[in-house]
Amino acid sequence: MAQEAHGAIYDLLAVRGVSRRDFLKYCSYVAAMLGLSEAAAPAIAAAVEKGSKLKPALWLNGGSCTGCTESMAQVDSPDVATIVLELLSLNYFETVMAAAGEHAEKNIQDTIAAGGYLLIYEGSVMTGEDGNTLLVNGHKGTDILKEAAESADAIIAVGACAVDGGWVAAHPNPAGATGVQAFLDVEGVKTPVVNIPCCPMNPEWVVAMVVQWLLVAEDDPATFLAKTELLGKSYDDRLTGRNVTLLYPKYVVGSTIHDNCPRRGHFENGDFVTEFGSAEEAMGYCLYKVGCKGPQTFTQCPITRWNRSVSWCVQSGAPCIGCGAISWVDNNTPFFKRLSSMQMGDGLGYVQPGSVAAVVGGVAAAALVAHGLGMKAAGRIGPDGPPTETVKKHDRKRQAKGGDK
Amino acid sequence: MARVVVDPLTRIEGHMRVECEVQDNKVVDAWVSGTLYRGMETVLLDRSPEDAFYVSQRICGVCPISHSHASSQATEDALGIKIPEGGRLVRNLLEAAQFLHSHILWFYNLTALDYVSPVNALSANIADTYALAQAAGTKAADFGAVATRLKAFVDNGQLSIFSGHYWDHPGYALPPELDLIATTHYLEALEMQAVANEIVAIIAGKFSHPMTSVPGGTAFVPTVERLDDILFRFIRVKEFIDTALIPDTLAIAPFILDAAGYGAGTGNFLSWGVFEKSSLVPEERYLPRGFAQGLAAEGVTPEDVTEDVTRAWYSSATGLNPAQGETVAKFTEYDMSNFPGETDQYSWGKAVRCKGKSTESGPLARMIVAYLAEKGGADLTGGAAGVRTPAALIDSTLEALGVGGKPEVLVSLLGRVAARNLEAAYVADLALVWVNETIEAIKGGDAKFWQAAETDAGDGVGAWEAPRGSVAHWIGIKGGKIDHYQVVAPTTWNTCPRDDSGVRGPLEEALVGAPIADPERPLEILRIGHSFDP
Repeated sequence: MAQEAHGAIYDLLAVRGVSRRDFLKYCSYVAAMLGLSEAAAPAIAAAVEKGSKLKPALWLNGGSCTGCTESMAQVDSPDVATIVLELLSLNYFETVMAAAGEHAEKNIQDTIAAGGYLLIYEGSVMTGEDGNTLLVNGHKGTDILKEAAESADAIIAVGACAVDGGWVAAHPNPAGATGVQAFLDVEGVKTPVVNIPCCPMNPEWVVAMVVQWLLVAEDDPATFLAKTELLGKSYDDRLTGRNVTLLYPKYVVGSTIHDNCPRRGHFENGDFVTEFGSAEEAMGYCLYKVGCKGPQTFTQCPITRWNRSVSWCVQSGAPCIGCGAISWVDNNTPFFKRLSSMQMGDGLGYVQPGSVAAVVGGVAAAALVAHGLGMKAAGRIGPDGPPTETVKKHDRKRQAKGGDK
Repeated sequence: MARVVVDPLTRIEGHMRVECEVQDNKVVDAWVSGTLYRGMETVLLDRSPEDAFYVSQRICGVCPISHSHASSQATEDALGIKIPEGGRLVRNLLEAAQFLHSHILWFYNLTALDYVSPVNALSANIADTYALAQAAGTKAADFGAVATRLKAFVDNGQLSIFSGHYWDHPGYALPPELDLIATTHYLEALEMQAVANEIVAIIAGKFSHPMTSVPGGTAFVPTVERLDDILFRFIRVKEFIDTALIPDTLAIAPFILDAAGYGAGTGNFLSWGVFEKSSLVPEERYLPRGFAQGLAAEGVTPEDVTEDVTRAWYSSATGLNPAQGETVAKFTEYDMSNFPGETDQYSWGKAVRCKGKSTESGPLARMIVAYLAEKGGADLTGGAAGVRTPAALIDSTLEALGVGGKPEVLVSLLGRVAARNLEAAYVADLALVWVNETIEAIKGGDAKFWQAAETDAGDGVGAWEAPRGSVAHWIGIKGGKIDHYQVVAPTTWNTCPRDDSGVRGPLEEALVGAPIADPERPLEILRIGHSFDP
């Protein structure tokens, strides 16, 4: 049993003053995120413990701001979580690795040659100016991604830019940005991609997915998608002209921010903030009237929260800008205006891909397209943004009565 | 003659290439290339000014707060908004948290690996390590446990982020005990940078990409309870700076004194000024606005800025002030073999100039401008007791290193490293003052945090400082929509290419003359590159 084991992980834990009990507690937390019961915690601990060799991984930066790397550095309980991450041998990670130049590049080449690694990709895929908008040691960023993706066991696309191009792909997309899945579809690379949304992504969501990969990869990496609870969503990628199906962890996109918002009660009661820094804000009223995109944004932010759970956007007084949505800048600007329909954008949510394994073969993709809501449905194409409302009927009534408290 | 190329220069934000011509183990020429173009300025057009606050900060995930503050200030300047006192105080706290996060992360987790070898630390004698820590006045920890952990890590044979590097380079000259101390603090720094960022999250929802310093002030309403949460975190971070960052800097410096002899750069320094006082006058900021040629101070305004693009991959006009600036990408090729060929272009960075001069920005520039201001009679304590000001910090450090009264030695690689850490000490002192000031300000319950705009048109500029350099955003607003947007990002100042007259950028100039002990393993290029925290 895991509790009796004396693997390398427990030695590492002991050195850092982390008890097995703490570690199992952490594994329960990861299990909950992965949609497993607490009974799975020992299995997670066992899987984490049994590898004497670290699993190789590459963290590539595309057209990134390094914000997702920064976010990763803010992960909770680092004493435990970093140990989980230390089970990866991060052979290439530009922002933190010691080596540079050709010495760094050798790490990447050796890892690709050996195969059997996890690829984590941060930032947009840069295709503009014939791929010259991103150059690393004379290679186009797109060529590096393609080569690394082809030989990887699995890919985690971290953050909005890797998911669908993020802000970089916003109108008029001057540098020809797109997401990892859209790019790999064009290149015909079939390696499974799991997307972790938001700008930046939440580090806890990445840790949970890395653990899931470790659990599966130990036996057979080819079963990664089939054994992972995912939800799918399709969208029309304007750059590649393709309908692209994205897979997300269910624990991230299973419900809206609005569903789990601690300010939800004020929404129901009609208690709204209408001005920043106001007395209403001090009372924690609902931010819907200053543009909050919580109702149509499907992420776990209110539950996971940010920076080791000390806060999150709405808790600090800022309306959600929907950075977890597809084409989040075009679909959600102007940020301080309410969309004229709360069901706009991602209104239909994310769908169960049925047999996820089939998605890899492209079979279930057609079903997803039928359910999918993309840019067209959101009505957003030009620079004027989606339809927004000026004053709602109920606002007029409230104003007639003398407005908000 | 040989070409030495470092691409990618790792441990930075973004993507950068450094190419040097090396002769007789000395750099005789250098080209620095920014190798990523995303087009932020174009994406912002036709959107609302507040959208620029949220989107433009995504230029940089390491200093998004400074970008967001510059963006909001540009809009406030354009629309004639004067932010209320509460907004000013909250923004200072937020900016301070980011500065402390950034400087700690930079020293321990990014540049330290150019001087400190975690592999060499394995040879440390544990008892001697404690003795050395005590002698250096730096923080002790369970050094034995860290050594055990390191050994297990190295014995495993997979060095992860430490793999592939030339740890046997003669430049790694610290005693193993000091390597072990610094490696221990490397691990603690990972914790401290996260603590600093918890302050960011309390005020702004999350880091990276803060949410609350919207045009007009802040959306965050502080309570005494929240300020308590902020205060105890600032105290922890300040304690780490005083007991680790500063003593470690002084302990390592004697082993790298040669770094005081090269890496000087262009010797022109810009600070837009950062950390606002009630007057909201840039020249009166805690770190004031100013320009210096060598150690001679003068005034400066955003109108002094021009951007040349002859050597960059743009087809737009050259030599414009960003208020009229354009950004039209046009890649040609990268080929430095016959530079300066008439059409040679080599970077996505524009050659930004201040008063026509190739100008360094960042902590060294800010500390020199502040130092000169203090020597000229300015009071940078903010009226609070116990604040160690830039001049006091610089003078005492020069004294400790045996070069008292010689501030000119600051203009070097070693000076640039030291200036950043000294600035962290000043900002940490101020942060505690500001938390208490904010607690006082909210006591009456009538503090104001946000001010609405009265118009929907105008032109403005927000010129501010990020941890790594001077940042300015220029905005033109018509009918509530953005019709002009230009950014000069902090690192553009330092890593820009040659201008139209062929004058090198500050990092290029800092590389020229640097010794390269082993061209196959150009450690000195990493040190100089990282000293600018690009």
